[in-house]
Amino acid sequence: MATQLPPGLQLEKLDERIMTLNVGPQHPGSGHMRLIIKVDGDYIVSCDPDPGYVHRGEEKMAEYRNYIQNIPHLERPVIHDSCNILYPYCLGVEELLGLEVPERAQYLRVIASELNRCVYIQYWLAIYGIFLGHSTMFMWPAGDRELLIDLLEKITGARVTHAYFVPGGIRNDVPANFEDMCLKRVNYFEKRIKEYAAIFYDNPILISRTRGAGVLSREDAIRLGTTGSTLRASGVDFDLRKKEPYDAYGELDVHSDVLKDGDSYARSKIPWLDMFESCNIIRQALQKMPKSGSVRVKLKPNPKGGNDEVYKRVESGRGSLGCYIVSRSKPEPYRVKLSVGSFRNLICMPYLLKGEKLGNMPAVYWSLNYWPVEADR
Amino acid sequence: MSQPESPETKPVATAQPQKELPQFEKSIADKLESKFSSRVAIEFVKPTRIRVKVKKEDVLEVARFIRDELHFDHAESVTGVDYPDQKEIEVVYHLGSYTDPELSKQVLALATSAPREENPNPGNDSTRLPSLRDIFYSVEFHERECFEMLGVYFENHPDNRRLLLPEDWADLPPMRKDFKIKGR
Amino acid sequence: MSAIAPKFRLSYFIKSILDNVFWIVILFTLVGIPVLMVSMFYFPLPVMNEKLTSPYLMLTTLADPSRQIPLLKSVIHSDFFRITAFPGFGFAALLAAATIFIERKMLAKLQLRVGPFYCGKVEGILQLMADGLKLISKEIIIPAKADKPIFWAAPVLFVATAAAFVSLIPVAGGGWVVADIDVGLLAVFAVIGFFPIITVLSAWSANSKYPFIGGIRALHQMISFEIPLILSVLGIVILTGSLNLTEIVQSQIHYWWIVFLPIGAIVFFIAILAELERIPFDLPEAESEIVAGWLTEFSGMMYGLVQLGSYVKLYAFAALFVVLFLGGWNGPMVWPPFPEEIIKDGITMGPITVHLAGLPLLDQQMINDVLWFVIKTMGVIFVILLPRGVFPRIRIDLLLHIGWYKLIGLSFVNIFIALGLLYAGVLGPGGIL
Repeated sequence: MATQLPPGLQLEKLDERIMTLNVGPQHPGSGHMRLIIKVDGDYIVSCDPDPGYVHRGEEKMAEYRNYIQNIPHLERPVIHDSCNILYPYCLGVEELLGLEVPERAQYLRVIASELNRCVYIQYWLAIYGIFLGHSTMFMWPAGDRELLIDLLEKITGARVTHAYFVPGGIRNDVPANFEDMCLKRVNYFEKRIKEYAAIFYDNPILISRTRGAGVLSREDAIRLGTTGSTLRASGVDFDLRKKEPYDAYGELDVHSDVLKDGDSYARSKIPWLDMFESCNIIRQALQKMPKSGSVRVKLKPNPKGGNDEVYKRVESGRGSLGCYIVSRSKPEPYRVKLSVGSFRNLICMPYLLKGEKLGNMPAVYWSLNYWPVEADR
Repeated sequence: MSQPESPETKPVATAQPQKELPQFEKSIADKLESKFSSRVAIEFVKPTRIRVKVKKEDVLEVARFIRDELHFDHAESVTGVDYPDQKEIEVVYHLGSYTDPELSKQVLALATSAPREENPNPGNDSTRLPSLRDIFYSVEFHERECFEMLGVYFENHPDNRRLLLPEDWADLPPMRKDFKIKGR
Repeated sequence: MSAIAPKFRLSYFIKSILDNVFWIVILFTLVGIPVLMVSMFYFPLPVMNEKLTSPYLMLTTLADPSRQIPLLKSVIHSDFFRITAFPGFGFAALLAAATIFIERKMLAKLQLRVGPFYCGKVEGILQLMADGLKLISKEIIIPAKADKPIFWAAPVLFVATAAAFVSLIPVAGGGWVVADIDVGLLAVFAVIGFFPIITVLSAWSANSKYPFIGGIRALHQMISFEIPLILSVLGIVILTGSLNLTEIVQSQIHYWWIVFLPIGAIVFFIAILAELERIPFDLPEAESEIVAGWLTEFSGMMYGLVQLGSYVKLYAFAALFVVLFLGGWNGPMVWPPFPEEIIKDGITMGPITVHLAGLPLLDQQMINDVLWFVIKTMGVIFVILLPRGVFPRIRIDLLLHIGWYKLIGLSFVNIFIALGLLYAGVLGPGGIL
């Protein structure tokens, strides 16, 4: 009887140490997704992301609606960044239909998209704060965000779901005193976000906790095809506003920050630095914008694209956001694919969380700039 | 496309004159053509965009060439497009580059196609493609999405499971054209 | 017609009030008074006007208010009053409620919002009562696989342990403490030792993963911070030569121990933050990692009891800090003396003059002591609350590193300072100061 145990049994014994945690979807630290995490003591052995709880089939819906009808529902995946997610779609449809956007509309698009980026980053930052147990950092960005939301409401008429960009320009011109109002708010906003350094980014506990958490090296960031702040925090200088300028970005001086560390702290700092850059871009655009002119090219009703396909990409709050439109000479697109930054960054999650401490899980997870609703589309 | 005149929004769109093919993109396409000659079909070369169509047998080889020689290092998206008339499902890999600053504007669309079956049985029918996961690590989740949405099984993919759809989804793969949305 | 109660009619309203009054009177006369009378035969009653009070004499106090004063005094000095009301659990619970309100308002002001605002008209002062009512009215859900007796007992045990802790804290001179024992400080640490056990019991009995992780974290945290907690007060014990908390307070009449042992005070403060699971050390309840930690499966008033217990514990630790380092109730006399005329002439209300023999109920010194004690305690509580608005949560390995490497070392430094002061003859028994 006293023989050696078969190897399978020993493995069973080892597995008893390992506990499976379902982080999400009903979990305060998960968002609309599930992370199946296996922990051995305090260390994460493996992580298996399970998105799809908010999959709404936006791409399928787009095949049944014409190019104009697609505008309001395509921005739904990330309503906090709704201008940016519509941007590549509008650029793509413009190329398909051969439209050229008036100059004033180009600048207004830049302004609206930068404002929206700030709104999104503030929301993201708020959640990053509360994920680390910093309740003040939850309330401050969420409150300061209202400043820009009010401004966007004055421009577009809606607080978050703007549907402001249309193929051929923007939906409507801005109100009369827009420039002063915008400049005033952006300056104040910049003053406010400077204060976050004192309470959050220079906080010794935050630094000790997020420095070295989930380090993504430069090579891995490239190999995994990450994008946006995750990529730039790992030392890759890639910003589409600079590298492939679209609309009025070519005439503006865009400078995006790059950090070398690739850890959770660097990844959380990049969006904050981006907000300063957004403020700069808005001020430049306000200066260079033509004071009057048309803002929209008039479209034929029910326009048809040719027998063509187009892939356009812009830099959104979560990184490069591509839109692939296949057109088959019909009023409806044949296929629309949104290649979103969140979905591309999802691949980092099992990679980075493996071997990490359980306490680092929220810090790494949310620093990837991952927006579950957008990734599910 | 011409636009009707209007007092407030005047059309600025004009017909694009047929331009010379852009030089840099042309050189990339030429490299591919000289290497694989007739096995790759350069479908278009536009400013910053190239589209290449290959057969499914050649896709691994072409992808490895694109990575190693042309320095495209990551996939931005993997899109499956269903063509019921031609009885094929086209899978388009949009490849970009971070390492080569010259290529940062470029997006190379590598298209390949799998045979399409009328009554799909995802994973067990002939709708199969070789997985590019070993060449472009970043396609892992995109290919999983493509598998569940169109029923294209990627061979040698380590993890061909459902990603976005629920576990108990028993209908057609939803991005196929014969899957109709109710009420439309 | 009001929008809130569309079927409101004044006559029904008055009728309902009269109904209630009727039933209260009936029940009180038929049940309440007999129960009161019967129970009085079993309680030892005080001596009043040089006569042993009997239940019949007690009834006469209804007619003669002057006889109520000695009765009240005897109640105040009874053990039952000390345990339940002052300086025991009731006082602590009241201060804990005030703490919750202050915490919410202060945090709101820090975060540029208003906080509780509507409930109770004045700055949301009744919000806590509303929350309590809500918790009481919630259903209590027990996990199906939980070890039910232990799971039920855990919140009660938690509150009971917190109350036992409170009973050791002296709040004023002249024996205003529930249990004035010679080894008071040792008893305090013995009581603190129960908290991790209760936490782990409740976490394990819930038979759920997140409470389990939370309980293990709480165990690690509390046990490793108990060591610096105990070591940091050894300096005071050395200098005072006593473990009795009242004597420790009396030794600080001229100077507070924080003046000579600031390192000990800092270590003690950080250790109580960890013992209390306050931010930045709230790992056992870290919501973004482990839902609510060891509180995850508690619902309804069970959760409410744990919250009550933890805030009572917060008061007790703050009071312990005041007793040990901030001179307890010692402070200048600020409370005005009781007006002599009332004792001499009585209270005149129109044609009636009431002479109340035995006033005032509490002496001036005691009220002054309590006043200073409460002021200092609230100050310490405020400082304990403040990190919540400033710091994020720390990670468990960093936390244990702080506990084992830094705080224990610092507390030994503190002991050496105390020993140096003692052997130099500066402080301690027979010292210069």
